[in-house]
Amino acid sequence: MRNLLLLLLLAGTAMAKEEIFAYPRAFWENSVTVWFWVAVAIYIVVAVPSIYFMVKYRYRPKENEEGAHIEGNTAIEIVWTVIPTIIVLFLGTYSFANFVKQRKAPEGSLEIKVTAFMWGWEFEYPNGKKVYTFFNQVADPEKNIYLMPDKVDDSAKAYIPAGKPIKVYCTSRDVIHSFFVHEARVTEDCVPGRITKLWFQFNKPGEYWVFCREYCGTWHSRMASVLKVVPEDEFNKWLGGDAQQPAPAEQPAQPVQQ
Amino acid sequence: MAVAHLPPSGTWYGATLKEWIFTTDHKKVGMLYFITALVFFVVAGLFGLIIRFEQSAPGIQLPGMFGQEGADLYNYVLTGHGAVMLLWWAVTVWTGGFANFLVPLMIGARDVAFPRLNAFSYWSFFGASLLVLLTLIPGNWIKMLWTGYAPYSMNDNAGPTSLYVLIVLLYSVSSTAGSVNMITTIVSMRAKGIGWTKLNLFVHAIMAASLIQLFGVPSLMGSVILLFTDKYLGTNFYNPMLGGDPLLYQHLLWFYSHPVVYVMILPAFGVFSEVISTMSRKPIFGYISMALAIYAIAFVGFETWVHHMFVSGVPDWLRVLFSYTTLFVAVPTGIKIFNWVATLHRAAIRYNTAMLFTFGGILMFLIGGLTGIPNAMVSIDLGISDSLFIVGHFHYVLGMALTFGAFSGIYYWYPKVTGRMFSEGLGKLSFWLMLIGANIMFFFQMYMGMAEGMPRRYPDYPPIPEWVQLMQIQTVGALIMSVGILISFINWFKSLKGPKAPDNPWGSPSLEWSMTTTPVGPNNFKKLPVEVPDDWHPYAYYKGYHTHI
Repeated sequence: MRNLLLLLLLAGTAMAKEEIFAYPRAFWENSVTVWFWVAVAIYIVVAVPSIYFMVKYRYRPKENEEGAHIEGNTAIEIVWTVIPTIIVLFLGTYSFANFVKQRKAPEGSLEIKVTAFMWGWEFEYPNGKKVYTFFNQVADPEKNIYLMPDKVDDSAKAYIPAGKPIKVYCTSRDVIHSFFVHEARVTEDCVPGRITKLWFQFNKPGEYWVFCREYCGTWHSRMASVLKVVPEDEFNKWLGGDAQQPAPAEQPAQPVQQ
Repeated sequence: MAVAHLPPSGTWYGATLKEWIFTTDHKKVGMLYFITALVFFVVAGLFGLIIRFEQSAPGIQLPGMFGQEGADLYNYVLTGHGAVMLLWWAVTVWTGGFANFLVPLMIGARDVAFPRLNAFSYWSFFGASLLVLLTLIPGNWIKMLWTGYAPYSMNDNAGPTSLYVLIVLLYSVSSTAGSVNMITTIVSMRAKGIGWTKLNLFVHAIMAASLIQLFGVPSLMGSVILLFTDKYLGTNFYNPMLGGDPLLYQHLLWFYSHPVVYVMILPAFGVFSEVISTMSRKPIFGYISMALAIYAIAFVGFETWVHHMFVSGVPDWLRVLFSYTTLFVAVPTGIKIFNWVATLHRAAIRYNTAMLFTFGGILMFLIGGLTGIPNAMVSIDLGISDSLFIVGHFHYVLGMALTFGAFSGIYYWYPKVTGRMFSEGLGKLSFWLMLIGANIMFFFQMYMGMAEGMPRRYPDYPPIPEWVQLMQIQTVGALIMSVGILISFINWFKSLKGPKAPDNPWGSPSLEWSMTTTPVGPNNFKKLPVEVPDDWHPYAYYKGYHTHI
């Protein structure tokens, strides 16, 4: 418990010192840090007096049998109405300021289209190259268990250049899905008939999970994909090269029942 | 008034089965509601344990059966756990069970305003309960989750939409009837001398909850009716291929389903107020602001529904606006918590089971409320939306603060309802097990959502060692909590044959304690019509009304 709390504190504060690993994660962490310390302060302000009162004013026969006759105090009511109001306005405004940065993609982003379907993802790059990931590509059919990203076949991974902002246009073919990259702390639903936008940027090469976060049926939990973040020259080689396996034939999505 | 002719003396629970089935008496109806809610609480709790065991290890452990995958069974169990815990336990135990039994007693009325409507509302709820039990049959598994988002719920993968719609509609009929009944009762049936400032805070909470039900339920009914016509009759409200909008469903659903969480938690606040005041021998601090805070929460609760849709593709300006309104809910809830703490100042606190459950509930609500702030802050929500953090948060507030409030209320009014005293030792043991287990489980759940990013509603997850470890810790917590809940149930059953309780065991000036026999008689009060002294107040401990009235 104590270690976990320390971890939380570290997660909130340590990030400021090292280099920025991903966007919009950096803005998200600013908000989380502010919230965390405000919450700890409020918790202490409420919990310490209440525990103190619980101990001090417990029922003791012949010493403390009846509570005092206090019906209230208008001044203190006003104080603890106004101060929380100021706190929530501050929190709301702070999150608003970060939210603007989280939603506004920088100039010169690489734009990719993500189409979700039951149950998989299609990534389309500006030159028309497409990558498909199906729910059965991220799992081991023998053991019926997830594969870790290093075991997933490279043809099912969406390559992403490191250090470059990526702007994603999301939509869906059948039901609502949700595109979520945990390391970038970004989520946006893919809604049929709508195009939603999000952006992220990874500065460190690696392999990161994409999960679906909107319930979409049987294999909702397997509807994962892997983002392979590689240096930009390698990405360009991959994007321009034609040595890739052809994309598997598109599965017809289940039409919504008429 | 259409009240059956009852004997002037005896106990409220009568003797024959026919009396119970054809009853219009608010106490019997309340008890029917209450027993149904408890049964479904146990069923949904077992569903929750199935979920916990499924998540204890990566891979899908649940067996596939009847041509369905194991993941389908998980999704059904998840739907059952969500829908039943929310509608059958969290809402019904208050608006059905506690409210029906206690509100007429607290306001000095002989019965509710519309006794037959009350009975009708129970039996339509009972019909919905039977339909819920029908979903246990394979082939009837509803797998759309309790939210039933379109367009997924129009897909064949989601199970029988029509059954879901019928359940919700029957439930809505019952809710509407019950809330109309409660509002009318509180407005028009208060005894002479009981003004709006002399009502128990629990009654204020039920009033606010019933108002929310009255204004919110039509929206839910509308959303599921449109869903029904979309799937079966060829309309296109939600079908984007033909000009519909999937987000419309979410707006309609959350316009009711967000305020409904205040239906669930406000009566728990009411119970906290009753118990704290009684066990502290002290009037509640700032009665007027407590009552106003209840109505303020109910009002602001209607302006916050978009926070469930922060990542669903609504425009950015709307997200910011609703981020502010959602944060404003913290102000009235904060007032309530500060007032409870202030009530403890210079009190004389008796630590019995009901009081411990109330403390536990308030502390759980404090943690749950503080972890609700990041969900309301839209910039943080982009990273934790639909993660286990959310699940942990609402289990802290709805799962635990509410259940602690309900258990506190059960222990508090148990003597009045049954005429027997329960075992304090077992009750305290149950409390500590529940508190420790729930905190272990839900704290690590929140940690997992925030730091590890595990999404909700996943039977399966990548075999990352930390994830497996965290999930197993949660399972241990869930088991500890289950044992605690089981001990409480054993306690209640065993105590039905316990020692006889006095008329006013806690010494409260509130009407349901000070003016009735234990157990309550068929006519509710020792003396009808009820009259209270001019300076009486349900929390007037300093005037000695709790010892003689």
